[in-house]
Amino acid sequence: MTGLREVIVKADMLRDGLAPDFRDQMVENLYLEADRISSRAVKQAGDAKWDLDQRVDRLVTSPLFGLPLMVLLMTAVFWLTIVGANIPSQMLATALFWVEARGADLFQSFGSPWWLTGFLWNGVWRGLAWVISVMLPPMAIFFPVFTILEDLGYLPRVAFNMDWLFRRAGAHGKQALSMAMGFGCNAAGVIATRVIDSPRERLIAILTNNFVPCNGRFPTLIMLATIFVAAQFPPLFASIAAAGAVAGIVLLGIGFTLVVSAVLSRTLLQGEASAFTLELPPYRRPSVLRILYTSLIDRTLFVLWRAMLTAAPAGAVIWILANIHVSGASLARHIADFFQPFGYLLGLDGVILLAYVIAIPANEIVVPTMLMMYLGAGSMSEMESFDEIRKVLVDQNGWTLLTAVNLMLFSLLHNPCATTILTIWKETRSGKWTAIGALMPLAIAFGVTFLVAQVVRLW
Amino acid sequence: MLLWIAGTVGLAAAAAFALRKPWVRQRGRNRRADLEDVLKHIFTRRHEGREASMESVAGHLRISPRRAIRLCTELESQGMAESDSGTLRLTPKGEDWAREVVRAHRLWETYLANEARMSMRDVHGPAEREEHRLVADRQVEALDARLGHPRSDPHGDPIPRIAGDAVLSPARCLTGWPLGTPAEVVHVEDEPEALFEQILKGGLAPGTVVTPIESSADRIILSEGSRVFELSRLAAGSVQVRAVSAEYAQRSQWVRLSDLNTGEQGEVMLLDPALRGFTRRRLLDLGLTGRAKVEAALGNAFGDPKAYRVRGTTIALRNDQASRVWVKRSA
Amino acid sequence: MSLPGHDCDNCPAGAHLERMGIRLEKFDRLVALAGNPNTGKSSVFNSLTGLKQHVGNWPGKTVARAEGGFAFNGIRYKLVDLPGTYSLLSASQDEEISRNFLLFGRPDCTIVVVDATALERNLNLVLQVLEITSKVVVCVNLMDEARRKGLEVDVRSLARDLGVPAVGAIARTGEGLSELIQTVAGVIAGEIATRPLRPKHPAEIEEAIGELAPMIEAAVPGVPNARWIAYRLLDGDHRMRQALSTGELAELVKAEGAPVEAAQSKLISLQGRQ
Repeated sequence: MTGLREVIVKADMLRDGLAPDFRDQMVENLYLEADRISSRAVKQAGDAKWDLDQRVDRLVTSPLFGLPLMVLLMTAVFWLTIVGANIPSQMLATALFWVEARGADLFQSFGSPWWLTGFLWNGVWRGLAWVISVMLPPMAIFFPVFTILEDLGYLPRVAFNMDWLFRRAGAHGKQALSMAMGFGCNAAGVIATRVIDSPRERLIAILTNNFVPCNGRFPTLIMLATIFVAAQFPPLFASIAAAGAVAGIVLLGIGFTLVVSAVLSRTLLQGEASAFTLELPPYRRPSVLRILYTSLIDRTLFVLWRAMLTAAPAGAVIWILANIHVSGASLARHIADFFQPFGYLLGLDGVILLAYVIAIPANEIVVPTMLMMYLGAGSMSEMESFDEIRKVLVDQNGWTLLTAVNLMLFSLLHNPCATTILTIWKETRSGKWTAIGALMPLAIAFGVTFLVAQVVRLW
Repeated sequence: MLLWIAGTVGLAAAAAFALRKPWVRQRGRNRRADLEDVLKHIFTRRHEGREASMESVAGHLRISPRRAIRLCTELESQGMAESDSGTLRLTPKGEDWAREVVRAHRLWETYLANEARMSMRDVHGPAEREEHRLVADRQVEALDARLGHPRSDPHGDPIPRIAGDAVLSPARCLTGWPLGTPAEVVHVEDEPEALFEQILKGGLAPGTVVTPIESSADRIILSEGSRVFELSRLAAGSVQVRAVSAEYAQRSQWVRLSDLNTGEQGEVMLLDPALRGFTRRRLLDLGLTGRAKVEAALGNAFGDPKAYRVRGTTIALRNDQASRVWVKRSA
Repeated sequence: MSLPGHDCDNCPAGAHLERMGIRLEKFDRLVALAGNPNTGKSSVFNSLTGLKQHVGNWPGKTVARAEGGFAFNGIRYKLVDLPGTYSLLSASQDEEISRNFLLFGRPDCTIVVVDATALERNLNLVLQVLEITSKVVVCVNLMDEARRKGLEVDVRSLARDLGVPAVGAIARTGEGLSELIQTVAGVIAGEIATRPLRPKHPAEIEEAIGELAPMIEAAVPGVPNARWIAYRLLDGDHRMRQALSTGELAELVKAEGAPVEAAQSKLISLQGRQ
């Protein structure tokens, strides 16, 4: 191409002739013009409610109240979720298990073989029923509340409040935004790290996003908090204690995020904290329609659908494992027994580990899998209250407080689900970072639960 | 149980394999890198007005005199350098090569500091290695274009492009600067490391304006606006300064944006030249240009970052950037 | 700036407007949607296209790209949501995508959404867009917020100064959006003439651009907006330099007859690979 080379040479020559800060001048020039035009077009008529925004901002970012307010708000959201979801969850469970029983009866009356009835109703359907009744109510409360906070513009304030901590960890304050998304779904959280410009800090945010429990893991945490923590308190404070326990676990997760970020930025991902600019947009009145749409359709149904897609086959697998008997015991029992010594080392048991293996595609089905395994293939339609679950776990399967605590820790720290791992790969296009993103949390989860188990047993 | 142990070991091995360090250097490259280091040494010595010899080469590269002689002989046989009664000189060909290496070094430092946003502390070492690769792979030109043809590196050294371009910044040493006169830092020598560390601790980078206010046999006391700090004379010897323009001299009346108290207003006067590359562009785009009105709007529990109102929006900035923006307090 | 006899701020948009959601296979006009972050750009996008939209990534990038469509008076429009940016001058991925789409994607019209409560900041972007393309409609969103804050925004004065139409809107309620669409249609049809304001740069830069732009036009005949390209080269934009030196730019200009989208995708994927 003739001429092209000349153009570039000429450009280089002309550039050398320009003042070194010509770029500054151009931007300044543009802003001067913008200022001129806007001052002509905009008139300040009154100072109406201008101050309200600032007053709220002063409060939520206040040196004294900013962080406590954040923790309080978080606890309140969890409390609302726990309290609100409790009754609908039980009602859904009752209804769906009633359908299961009727369905199975119906199949039997048509003379269908036991394995078909068992596979479809006690396997596939039961998996679905568990996931829907355990997940739908909390999500239908958590997501809209969360979306309101998001739409109001509170999340950037959280990033603002916490940036200093992230900076000390060599990470970016906007990591707080991707973590907030992670509460909903870690895969969405990984995508949300796109707001971070620096590749190094973005990778840190991607690799540690797993340490905020996603919505698929909340039911596990909420159930354990309700059964083991709330039970220690009088009924009046039970739900508050449960919310506090969940908030505590989440804070622990944030602590892990910061520590792991700090370690990463001093080892694998060395570098300085980069430029940080964050707009704190004015508070906006959330639009109800949009909130309902994004929280229910985009998030709740999306997550639920995904959970159901994995729950149905998982339910089938569990049923098969529980109903194929080899040398006197079910396959599930054999596998659980095989995992048992390792589970014991971690303060867990073989069934829990088996549940986590089956739940690799989606964390949502951990609790249902566990319960179905504990209860065997027998009927469990009467499993309607947390009290019953508690009896099964503690009295029949030897759970202790250590089991509960370590399961909460394991749930918080273990490897991300398959969807998240796939998303990490899509975002980084690197096998190495995907492997680290999957294996590092698993190693940490093993390490932490192992240590806790040993320390508790020594005492 | 055994299976578990085997599995864990297998996974760990796989992870270690994925993380392994690729061989960065082969032997052949090492030799070439050494030759380039010799060229660079002769080149910078000449530009500093000093002479290079076999001994200075051996001393600078920390190699045996015998190896130094071998390297110099090879350069001579390639027509890159000439030895004239113990003094080493570069041929025009050698001069071109050396300049390319220096250019690659400074460009890579610029890249690391401005675009990869690494600390000034950490840019020299990687650049010492990367310069050879960039020259060998003929990527210097592309890097220059990619960076938008910067004129100086983060230390304040000019980036030479063609023969005759300045290699050293025209500046004086801070130790000899008259007391009470403000001076702008134009260059900070990054070797030796211990001194460089001291300079960075003092917050000195090209673009900072300091005034020496007291001087003794072993240290110099400097003031930068409201901040007063001291520097050993040795470290001050690695800092080059120049007289400030009338605009900069006014800086004594300005304050750093980060020093505004919540609720205080001001007008942006200047973005410190120490703000470079991506960060500078970002701040400009956000409207922190000359004459912009700003107000310190919000602090937080840790005092960092703070939020400022600029052109109708509240923007949070970390103190290390906001302290590079100079404002005039409004009454 | 609305057309005479069509001043229809309150008439139901549905009368002319049909949201097409993701049925985008065929469209007659391509409209780009630009704006600062937090200006309610996505509200405008959602209100125009309905809630269903096609969300993917920009080719070769991890930046989300949303597309939607609507039909107005029998003409089908495809709306491409550009990443929200404060500027088009920096080298961030988002800004580069917006810049390239405006220059090479050749939208028939570009809507720039601005926040009525922070006009000064937003106009910076508008002025930069006007440097690239003249077919622009400014949508002054969040008029209600402005009122709440005691600000009176004179949209006419804005339009006069900028040389392109400006429409006040409250995207959340849909107010002003039908006027926006009408104006966009008018600009595309040439019924509304635009004379975009292009502020003079400092003299030495103008001179340099003046010298370089004709050379670019000679080297790449038919190139859109040689002045902007000249400015980008002077600013050391290495992607632009690359596009020029490898002949990509010329190829894109030649491909003018081909669907613009394809050309754009190609350019971006080429750049994404390096």
